[in-house]
Amino acid sequence: MKTNNKSYDGVAKFFDFFRAGDMRRWGPDQRALFKNLKGRVLYIGIGTGQEIVNFPPGLDITAVDMSYAMLERSHARVQNYRGKIHRCQMDAQATAFQDNTFDTILTVCVLCSVNQPAICLKELKRVLKPDGELVMFEHVLSKNPVYALILKFMSHVTEYLEGTYLDRDTVGNAERAGFKIHSHKNVYLDIVKALIAKSA
Amino acid sequence: MNLKIADFFIGTFAGGLVALVVYLVLSTQPNMLIAMVLGGLIGMVLVLPLKILLMPFVGAFEVMIPLGIIGMGVGMTAGMLSAISGISGYVVIAWGNLAGCMVATIIYFANKRLVNQ
Repeated sequence: MKTNNKSYDGVAKFFDFFRAGDMRRWGPDQRALFKNLKGRVLYIGIGTGQEIVNFPPGLDITAVDMSYAMLERSHARVQNYRGKIHRCQMDAQATAFQDNTFDTILTVCVLCSVNQPAICLKELKRVLKPDGELVMFEHVLSKNPVYALILKFMSHVTEYLEGTYLDRDTVGNAERAGFKIHSHKNVYLDIVKALIAKSA
Repeated sequence: MNLKIADFFIGTFAGGLVALVVYLVLSTQPNMLIAMVLGGLIGMVLVLPLKILLMPFVGAFEVMIPLGIIGMGVGMTAGMLSAISGISGYVVIAWGNLAGCMVATIIYFANKRLVNQ
């Protein structure tokens, strides 16, 4: 859970190792999705900054994470980025930003981890400009009952290990928070998704 | 190695491994129904550490979904086969390999369909 400081401070040391396989798989899809980042960007849950390598150059990014250990580990990647990244330690569910601040908000595997995804999404809507875009690269509960059963079972394991839930209805949560999904692409089965949402 | 090719090897290997363990544990079990239930449980437990071991190398969901199906499915069917007298362990393992590869193939095409939607 990149936004839960206690558990993610603990796993920060191993985080890159655990996510290496995912990063190898998702690189091309992330690069395609991140082309939509524009203007002033808020990057929720920077973690160790693994996704930075897939960002287009020249962006003005404010990156937040709850875990100080994660933010520390992102330092080298932030330094190597050909653009501006300003990092803050902050809870995604209650940020310190003013209303209508950002043109784009990016979440990458964060809404599976925050304690209250609906509250987090409402907070993101507050700080996003009315014509801004919420760009999400997230995993959700599958609609296929066999996959869903496996995800629900494994969710107990991942919740215990690092506080990540595999059974979240992120698309539904975004819609309930007042977003309308404009672009919806499956990256792996109907579990890993690249989504773009705007204020409804 | 290309990760998509690795998925087929992992499916085949996991199927064979589950079948082998189920055969070793249940080959003396005469009741096919009990062997099926126990085989499914053994398979589910066995693939759990395998999933955690492989996730960092080939991706979490790409391991979790096929191995979840293989663990229970191959475990149950290998348990039933193991309970039939006269069936050798090689046949049970070969079935596990084949079934594991089949699951990987089905998921490959299901993924292709969903991603291209």
